Amino acid sequence: MDLFTLVSLILIIAMLIAAVVAAELKDLLSAAVALGVVSLIVSILFYILQAPDVAITEASIGAGLSMAVLIFAIKHTERWEK
Amino acid sequence: MKRIVAAILAILIFIVLALAFVKIPFGNINLSDYHYYNPITDKQTSDSVPQHYLVDGKKDTGSTNIVTAVVVDYRGFDTLGEVTVLFLAATGVGSIMYIFEKEKRRKVRRANAVVETASQLLFGFIVLFGAYIFVHGHLTPGGGFPGGAVIASAFLLLYLAYPRFHAEHKTLNVAESLAGLTFVIAGLLGLLISGSFLYNFLPFGVPTYLFSAGIIPVIYVAVGVKVGSELTGIVDAMMGVRE
Amino acid sequence: MSIAILILQILGYIFIGIGSFFLLLASIGLLRMPDVYNRMQTATKATTLGALSVLFGVGLLDLAWMPMSIVIALFILLTAPVGASALARASYKHGIKLWKESVVDKYKEEKEEE
Repeated sequence: MDLFTLVSLILIIAMLIAAVVAAELKDLLSAAVALGVVSLIVSILFYILQAPDVAITEASIGAGLSMAVLIFAIKHTERWEK
Repeated sequence: MKRIVAAILAILIFIVLALAFVKIPFGNINLSDYHYYNPITDKQTSDSVPQHYLVDGKKDTGSTNIVTAVVVDYRGFDTLGEVTVLFLAATGVGSIMYIFEKEKRRKVRRANAVVETASQLLFGFIVLFGAYIFVHGHLTPGGGFPGGAVIASAFLLLYLAYPRFHAEHKTLNVAESLAGLTFVIAGLLGLLISGSFLYNFLPFGVPTYLFSAGIIPVIYVAVGVKVGSELTGIVDAMMGVRE
Repeated sequence: MSIAILILQILGYIFIGIGSFFLLLASIGLLRMPDVYNRMQTATKATTLGALSVLFGVGLLDLAWMPMSIVIALFILLTAPVGASALARASYKHGIKLWKESVVDKYKEEKEEE
């Protein structure tokens, strides 16, 4: 197994863990942060797979703006899932 | 029950994607004898669309970045549609938040002095970086969409640092309309000159220079300004406080 | 000429190693520290030093990358403390208590003076 596959595998496993955490958490604020982690790892994966254009877009929109919008929405509704 | 339905849906989507991807080759392909599967004619062929983009992209469009060549030149009309979808989303968010805005007033506290000073220092740099991304879209990775998002994140920083700050709505609307107008007028000029919408009618120049690739930089600047003002509008609708 | 390049390479890898070590320390500190404010300190101080060292090492590996890594280092130096101070202030205002063995609480002192 070469380095490329190893790094990709580690990133994919971390991304899956973060995604499951985001789906399972009852604290929506933490879930939003976990979603941001998923976006960040996806953007790193895009960069590894030689798609820097998509990586820039994913990093700025997924991990930046959509996080802010989600946190704002949570602030104005409820933080805990029932 | 909900979980079972969700699991079944996920499995179904996975099966559909697997069936769709099973015939598409991944990985390295020897360029000297390439065999692409063409799903339309259902046979292996050497005359494929991606191969054409990779081999002739620079000659056809003058753009060094092939992704930009595909997004703005080969598939320029799709990009116009994408920008329109984003515009509709921004309008929807604005109208929904307008209803909420009437219901309650928020009380505003001043932010940290450190954050205020730093956001003043950083705002210009972030906007400059966003402008760099979309101006150099045909040379380096990036383009209108990430550039616009970076500019919108600069405004987001201002909204976080100054709770009373809100961008001038009239300016945003004018910038967005002008950018959209530029896109459509560039397309219509192409229609007028050569008979096809978004035809690249300007001279290509020398690739890898800033003024090259015909109308691609013009369109990407328009897309960048449009996306930036739309996303800033969304941020403003969600965070802006009006008195 | 080639000896100079070799020395630069060795120095660069040493700096990258130091930086990775500090990043490792930062992540251990995130797990070990007792309260939010201490964790914040490891997450910014140690991470800033680690990132700067890695950037400097990368700049030494290829001197053409040096201007870029200096610019990135400047922006990290500008943004990391700001983020940390904003987080700390927000969590203090939110009412998160300090660790029971903390000795300095400047916010409280300032409030008592007023």
